[in-house]
Amino acid sequence: MSLQLLFDALSLGGIYAIAALGIALIFGVMQLVNFAHGQFIACAVFALILPSSQAVAELGLGRLPTPLLIPVILGFGAALALLAEAAVFRPLRNAAPVALMVASFALGVALQNLLLVIYGSRPKAVSLWAGLGHPVQIGGAQVPLLQLLVIGAVALILAGLALMLKHSRIGLEMRAAAQDFGMARLLGVRANRVISGAFALSGALAAVVALVMVAQTGVADVRMGGQIMLIAFIATVLGGMGSLAGAVAAGFAIGAASALLQMALPAEARPFRDAFLYGLVILVLLFRPQGLFAPAGAKPRV
Amino acid sequence: MMAKLGIHDLAVRYGKLTAIADLSFTVAEGERLFISGPNGAGKSSLLGAISGAVRADHGRIEMDGDILTGLGPERIARRGLSMVPEGRRIFGALSVRENLLVGTGMRRDRAAIADDLETAFTAFPILRDRANAPAGALSGGQQQMLAIARALMTNPKVMLVDEPSLGLAPRIVDEVYDRLCALQALRGLTLVIVEQSSTRAARVGGRMILMRGGRIVADGDAATFAATDLMSEAYFGDAA
Ligand SMILES: Nc1ncnc2c1ncn2[C@@H]1O[C@H](COP(=O)(O)OP(=O)(O)OP(=O)(O)O)[C@@H](O)[C@H]1O
Ligand SMILES: [Mg+2]
Repeated sequence: MSLQLLFDALSLGGIYAIAALGIALIFGVMQLVNFAHGQFIACAVFALILPSSQAVAELGLGRLPTPLLIPVILGFGAALALLAEAAVFRPLRNAAPVALMVASFALGVALQNLLLVIYGSRPKAVSLWAGLGHPVQIGGAQVPLLQLLVIGAVALILAGLALMLKHSRIGLEMRAAAQDFGMARLLGVRANRVISGAFALSGALAAVVALVMVAQTGVADVRMGGQIMLIAFIATVLGGMGSLAGAVAAGFAIGAASALLQMALPAEARPFRDAFLYGLVILVLLFRPQGLFAPAGAKPRV
Repeated sequence: MMAKLGIHDLAVRYGKLTAIADLSFTVAEGERLFISGPNGAGKSSLLGAISGAVRADHGRIEMDGDILTGLGPERIARRGLSMVPEGRRIFGALSVRENLLVGTGMRRDRAAIADDLETAFTAFPILRDRANAPAGALSGGQQQMLAIARALMTNPKVMLVDEPSLGLAPRIVDEVYDRLCALQALRGLTLVIVEQSSTRAARVGGRMILMRGGRIVADGDAATFAATDLMSEAYFGDAA
């Protein structure tokens, strides 16, 4: 029972963490809350299927064998984010932060409408990796294989990202730019390279979230983007805006709180789980407006 | 001989405010030039414009005859002009070593980078001792030394240093200038240093430009400035 709860919390929290990281990465280097991130996720979801008005979707890219599908869809996410950066955010780079934020909203709405035009508004059933649903016996718990794979993949991604940020050239440049972009440029760090790198990573992470959401829910729905965006944004705020470790920790915290509420709430209150969850978030922010994980004394930047 | 650095009719404006007004001067290769003047004279704006961090309203900046005006700061840094900015702007969350390495991304000469790191650690032994500590934990003087060492890691030909003595005890300022001059000699650097104290500049030695209200009011040997009342004129105006 409690073991099951742990796996639920880890797999849900892991996805929230990856989604929050996608937002925190970009906020870190350019103080932009990219509200289009949820629609990057939605676009990657729909890239898996072919346009049709049917209730059961026909797989498009999703038909590719898994070892090919994963890099292709991650590449799709990265390319989409790079395109958005070049077309929307680069021309606005010296504009006020509010202008950038509004632009990201507009981009999100545009992408969502593009999806509605191409795929229609009806949610579609998608069977991706159908074989991964079968349960595995661990201790006393029956855990779907997919859940274990998600937890493993999230751990790998987080470890890989941490190594990259700590030990690679682009990682060093991103960390320096996140602290003082102007100074980094004075030392020869190329703004375009760092910002493109952050967008590419963020887009690839959006694609990871898309894959997991489709595999877990078996649905492609235009509204998915907005829902996950809300939670991911809350996680980045709770994590202390721009702190990558904070965003990850807050993502897991929200996942855990969500799984706990699901178990602890009486059956008739469960449909309102998210209301409880957001209430909890407001409570936390009342006591720690700078976020849960911002270092003491750090000033909120938004 | 062609000047290492040439500033021609440079103007910098912030909205309606003119921070630099039609300023011209040249710096010879290997020269040490102090820029002095009261608060708000436009010294930092001048360095900002040269390094590309601040946009020039008009005018031309040249290094070795190549025009720098209009290039982004990263392009200018890549051409061999490095900046130690006002307030040091250390990357506090990065380690001391990482701070030093940020500026080496443009270099392909790995062995030379290692040599330069060694030179920096020899010039500033405290940086070697604290190499893996977060830079934010260094004292003000140590951060100033880190900022200078960090700028040198880009392997510059010209280095701009904005008020290295700011907020430091006189003994530490002596130390900073000692190292700076030694490194200049070692590397054949052209140095432009903003320094408010003319006595300090005279003691270190070099040429000095005195600014006021975005213009040059005097240009000569730093040693002669301390002796005359040009300084007080620049600071207090003609009423003095
Ligand atoms: N970013 C900015 N926006 C608007 N005005 C500015 C900006 N930076 C400087 N100024 C103004 O430009 C003028 C020159 O400032 P600058 O910082 O270049 O002077 P400074 O000689 O370096 O002064 P200090 O000795 O105090 O460092 C001042 O009047 C200042 O108020
Ligand atoms: Mg200044």
